Amino acid sequence: MSKLLRRWMPGPRWLVIAPPYLWMLLFFAIPFAIALKISFSHSLIAMPPYSDLVGWTGKDLTVTLNISNYLFLLTDSLYYSAYLSSLKIAVISTFLCLLIGYPMAYAIARMPVSTRNVALMLVILPSWTSFLIRIYAWVGILKNNGLLNNFLMWLGVIDQPLQILHTNVAVYIGIVYAYLPFMVLPLYTNLVKLDGRLLEAAYDLGARPWKVFLKITLPLSRSGIIAGSMLVMIPVVGEFVIPALLGGPDTLMIGKVLWDEFFNNRDWPVASAVATVMLILLLAPIMIFHHYESKELESKLT
Amino acid sequence: MAQTTSPNPPPAARSASKSERPIGEDYLRIEEVRKEFDGFPAVAEVSLTIRKGEIFALLGASGCGKSTLLRMLAGFEKPTKGKIILDGQVMNDIPPYDQAVNMMFQSYALFPHMTVEQNVAFGPRQKGMSKAETAKRVEELLALVQMTKFAKRKPHQLSGGQQQRVALARSVATKPKLLLLDEPMGALDKKLRSLMQLELVNIIENLGVTCVMVTHDQEEAMTMAHRIAIMDSGRILQVGTPDEIYEQPSNRFTAEFIGSVNLFDGKIEEDNKDSITIRSPALESLIYVGHGVTGFEGQDVAFSLRPEKVTLSKEEPEGMHNKAQGIIEDIAYFGSHSVYHVRLPSGFKIMANFVNTQRWASERFTWNDPVWLSWGETAGVVLTS
Repeated sequence: MSKLLRRWMPGPRWLVIAPPYLWMLLFFAIPFAIALKISFSHSLIAMPPYSDLVGWTGKDLTVTLNISNYLFLLTDSLYYSAYLSSLKIAVISTFLCLLIGYPMAYAIARMPVSTRNVALMLVILPSWTSFLIRIYAWVGILKNNGLLNNFLMWLGVIDQPLQILHTNVAVYIGIVYAYLPFMVLPLYTNLVKLDGRLLEAAYDLGARPWKVFLKITLPLSRSGIIAGSMLVMIPVVGEFVIPALLGGPDTLMIGKVLWDEFFNNRDWPVASAVATVMLILLLAPIMIFHHYESKELESKLT
Repeated sequence: MAQTTSPNPPPAARSASKSERPIGEDYLRIEEVRKEFDGFPAVAEVSLTIRKGEIFALLGASGCGKSTLLRMLAGFEKPTKGKIILDGQVMNDIPPYDQAVNMMFQSYALFPHMTVEQNVAFGPRQKGMSKAETAKRVEELLALVQMTKFAKRKPHQLSGGQQQRVALARSVATKPKLLLLDEPMGALDKKLRSLMQLELVNIIENLGVTCVMVTHDQEEAMTMAHRIAIMDSGRILQVGTPDEIYEQPSNRFTAEFIGSVNLFDGKIEEDNKDSITIRSPALESLIYVGHGVTGFEGQDVAFSLRPEKVTLSKEEPEGMHNKAQGIIEDIAYFGSHSVYHVRLPSGFKIMANFVNTQRWASERFTWNDPVWLSWGETAGVVLTS
């Protein structure tokens, strides 16, 4: 009996484990459950603007699941291409972040400790200003008579302004700029732990610098690359502010579609369905990846 | 290789396995090498000649410059001055990846993301050996270090001793002209250490590779190396075979660094052709040394006397010299022998070893017993520096 009681009574262990679970429950599971619920309802012109799933007619308890919202996503090619284009933008900008962030992180990790902290500070510092203001600043830089165009014309490289703002190029610039720290920081934490003796051993065994990088540094920083890529790619897929401010009419991203469904069409059920599908699209690769990672970790421990 | 007629006779070897090894001509020459870090010399004008097939140890306390010297041999550091010549080729400006010199790192530095096999294959593959040839070489080497069974394991799945074997196999995979060992036993516990020392020497000798090792452990240097260089403050103080270093230290530092020693400061009292006497304030009697010394009467010298060369007795020994009476102040019992710390009337303490040949022999002398100490006329060494 006391055994049973002990099993069900919260012990001190729970005090430690509970907060993150509580957090996840309050800020992820419950909101997601609500969105999921709305996605299966009918759109109504009422308050709230969707129907109830559970009905009670005095005798019968009915649960109505309306899957037409999901079917609608399949029939209208807008959603399909918005998902694809979001993923494409996310993948390309993650790759660009990696391309720029890796050398940065590598250089910072190889600096003497005193300058290292200054360099890290410089990476983080811009995020002390509001995200919105920083993206607005890019409008000023990229517009037709903005900083960049005026500078290039003054140099004589171009004789009429380049149309950068309101194109996908501007979206890429904005995303790479905004998300670069999320790539640099995990890569830095990984690379700073890299044992210099391994690199020396590789040189010693006849590997040239480029080979040492490919055979030793790169494979050993894999977990940093993955962490950084996840931190960049996942939020970029759902990004709304950057495409809204810097993108043009042909910039199609799922975050914008979501916004339009909620605020312009006031179709909450379809918007919820869009959000749910986006989550599943993001979650699936993460879960597969996580499964694969933990398997490898297990084999390391045994 | 019958090299018995080489101009450099093989150094007197202390273990049977070492004497079988043919030691060849001069192979690695270090000429007046100096290395400065921020103007501070870590290695100062070191000159050394290492012979083909030799195991050579750089022995010294941490910070003496031995590791810097080793890193210069590996090509990781460039000498500020001087030349390193290996097999007739000046190595100063050749980057580490183009040198036929390989190093076994102190903590082995095995690549954690590669299997044992891949670790060993890394060198040959980088040097452009074909896949098939590399596989053959790896198999050979893993058999040599008895690690064939573990070929598919990752380094973290191996014990310290196994990791060391893999590291050794990896560092000789490309048949280097020179093998460098950085504190080879540093990461092993004491019991495994003595076992691996002899095993490592056997493997290195089988391969016939010339080897320079760095260590702070004198026992390790004495067991493994044919010759030892004692280093202090970036300089080499003495080079010799292990027994030369121990029995004929050329200076105070070496005498004190290797083993334990009684050092008597004194002045030469009588300087004869084939004997001298030394007066030391620590002793009442004179020290009589049965061979000539290049010095002059009145010169300050130190007399170094190893504890195992001191005889303990209850009765006063015969003769006028080389004896002292004192009181046993401390006894350190080591099982096989005991070390007696005897205080002389002058306050000086002498260490004397006593081999416990009988089971309860240690009871013969005990604390506060008055005893006589004596030593032969060739037991000690006169140090003039």
